[in-house]
Amino acid sequence: MTREITYVEAIAEALDEELARDDDVVLFGEDVEEFGGNFGETEGLYEKHGRDRVRNTPLSEIGIAGMALGAAVGGMRPVAELQFADFAATAGDEVFNQIPKQPYVSGGRLTAPLTIFAPSGAGIGAGAQHSQSVHSWLGNVPGWVVVTATTPYDAKGLFKSAIRDDNPVFFLPHKFLSEQRGEVPEEEYTLPLGEAAVEVEGEDVTVVATQLMFHRAKEAAEQVDADVEIVNPRTFAPLDTETIAASVRKTGRLVVVDETVERYGTQGHIANEVVESDFFSLDAPPKTIGVKDTPIPLSPVLEQEVLPSADRIAAGIESLF
Amino acid sequence: MTRDITVDDATAKRLFEEMLRIDVFEEETKARFGEGEIPGFVHLSGGHEGSHVGMGAAMREDDWLAVGGARLIGQYIAKGVPLTEIMAELYGRVGGSNKGYGGQMHVADVDRKLYGHAATIGSGQNPAVGLALAEEMQGTDNVAVTTIGDGGTSRGSFHTALVFASYWDLPVVFVIENNEWAISTPSTSLSPDHLSDYGKPHKLPTESVDGSDVEAVYHAVSEAIDRARDGGGPTVIESRVARLVPHFEGDKQTYRDSEEYERLKAEKDPIANYRERLLDAGVLTEADVEELTAEILAEVEEAVEFARESPEPNPEAAYENVYQLPLYGQGE
Ligand SMILES: Cc1ncc(C[n+]2csc(CCOP(=O)(O)OP(=O)(O)O)c2C)c(N)n1
Repeated sequence: MTREITYVEAIAEALDEELARDDDVVLFGEDVEEFGGNFGETEGLYEKHGRDRVRNTPLSEIGIAGMALGAAVGGMRPVAELQFADFAATAGDEVFNQIPKQPYVSGGRLTAPLTIFAPSGAGIGAGAQHSQSVHSWLGNVPGWVVVTATTPYDAKGLFKSAIRDDNPVFFLPHKFLSEQRGEVPEEEYTLPLGEAAVEVEGEDVTVVATQLMFHRAKEAAEQVDADVEIVNPRTFAPLDTETIAASVRKTGRLVVVDETVERYGTQGHIANEVVESDFFSLDAPPKTIGVKDTPIPLSPVLEQEVLPSADRIAAGIESLF
Repeated sequence: MTRDITVDDATAKRLFEEMLRIDVFEEETKARFGEGEIPGFVHLSGGHEGSHVGMGAAMREDDWLAVGGARLIGQYIAKGVPLTEIMAELYGRVGGSNKGYGGQMHVADVDRKLYGHAATIGSGQNPAVGLALAEEMQGTDNVAVTTIGDGGTSRGSFHTALVFASYWDLPVVFVIENNEWAISTPSTSLSPDHLSDYGKPHKLPTESVDGSDVEAVYHAVSEAIDRARDGGGPTVIESRVARLVPHFEGDKQTYRDSEEYERLKAEKDPIANYRERLLDAGVLTEADVEELTAEILAEVEEAVEFARESPEPNPEAAYENVYQLPLYGQGE
């Protein structure tokens, strides 16, 4: 049995169910109580689970991230929200140096089963410091499990798994997709971390895309004269290279579209993985498409200019034939 | 609250006029945002006007303002950025102070010594310390004033800035606009009696003033600036205001007690209070106020026209300004 809900409702459901399932789960962040989160992602949770389990924090990402680490090491399963993924940078030391490395430098003696979740991505005219996609930053620091969500189905299933995972997980919903509707099972489910999903089957070319770019890739697929297979990585770190490579072995062509900037973005990494493992199954050089190498501008005109459009994706696909 | 006027008539009129300018401009901004003409977020200053204007009037043109907190537009106005440029920037247009790259949270105007807001709240204080250092090293007696909200004071970066400023005894004035809310988180739950007490461990002069009284802010900031200019180092001021508006346009404020909110609106509106005071003291007449309002309305209308007529940026402009080129040593 399924029903249609929005992406942001899926997130709230995941939190609700995990708070109910496991007493060790504690949710905190800025404005998660009555305010209900900037996008409505924590609406109703405080009323239902109370102030012990759902806690407003003072405004400090350093505090939020650092507290999550201590609470996790101390035996809780904290779920900490940053209002925008960009703000991971304001807790730079915690995010890049402390959380992902503690389990490693302790020689595996401690675990940090925490989840930080933070809306990422551009498209709402929020300007350069509220619109970045940060999964390439985070994917660059071994220790983080880095997860994105593309549909309401993804959002709920992956978020629940993130909370249950014993690693630090950075879960990145996309703010522009908040109101997207989609089918979500009535009954309880989770989705595996570290596994990509072949969302659309095709014979001629593999397009790898998540979040907003997945939806644009689907539009692009309609425009081109080719049978497109679309793979959604879901987890960027560690990456399920095998599912992507298997798809390329079938189609012989690869386009990677992502909302990270092209320079040192995830696109290059994914293409490289395929080039190294399956060079001889490629009939054309892989094509990578991302945000042009600029900060995200405020003006909607400029913003759309730097984001990959369906047209740009379509042109990228066609350039391989 | 005192009813006396403690500044000369010309200053009093200027203080009132500036507050009114913020109010009229923001009412129009709200309407334009409501019509979908302005992208992104809009945070309005309602209740903070006295604090912004008192502070702005205490500064010389060559003093830096590093804008923080979340209520920004009123501060840009108080620093003297033309309304046309602010409005066009809100619209994301070429005629904006930042040519449409910045928007509401990033209006910057180096020529007017306005350091734009660090939209990650609380990240603006350390740059302010750096600006003060630069002034000092260049041998001027200019100071840097930097604002922050109650919420922002919880960030380590704020405390770090106090450490740095006092370490070098730099001419920085920290103004904390405590409106008791960081979106929905109350500052009353923070430990210090006054947020200016955060300056105490650093042995800085501290003061807490009624920020809804424009003259009180004007005097407190003037004194702190004079001290900084004379080599007396940083000061931490708490300016206690009421947030008479939602956090941002669209916030339903479900977390606020509505009776208390109405009481604050009746008692803590800096413009209404000051208007009454000036009328009582005979500094202004009703007719003066009407005339002034009409003038400002016309000015704001002009700003909207300017913004509307200003072109959208050319998409190609998205690639400009990422680097100053050539990079050092290139092309040799
Ligand atoms: C580092 C950072 N964390 C969170 C936010 C989201 N945010 C924007 S304004 C705000 C509240 C600010 O409160 P305060 O500093 O008291 O300023 P006020 O709104 O009261 O003027 C929050 C949480 C942000 N912009 N930057």
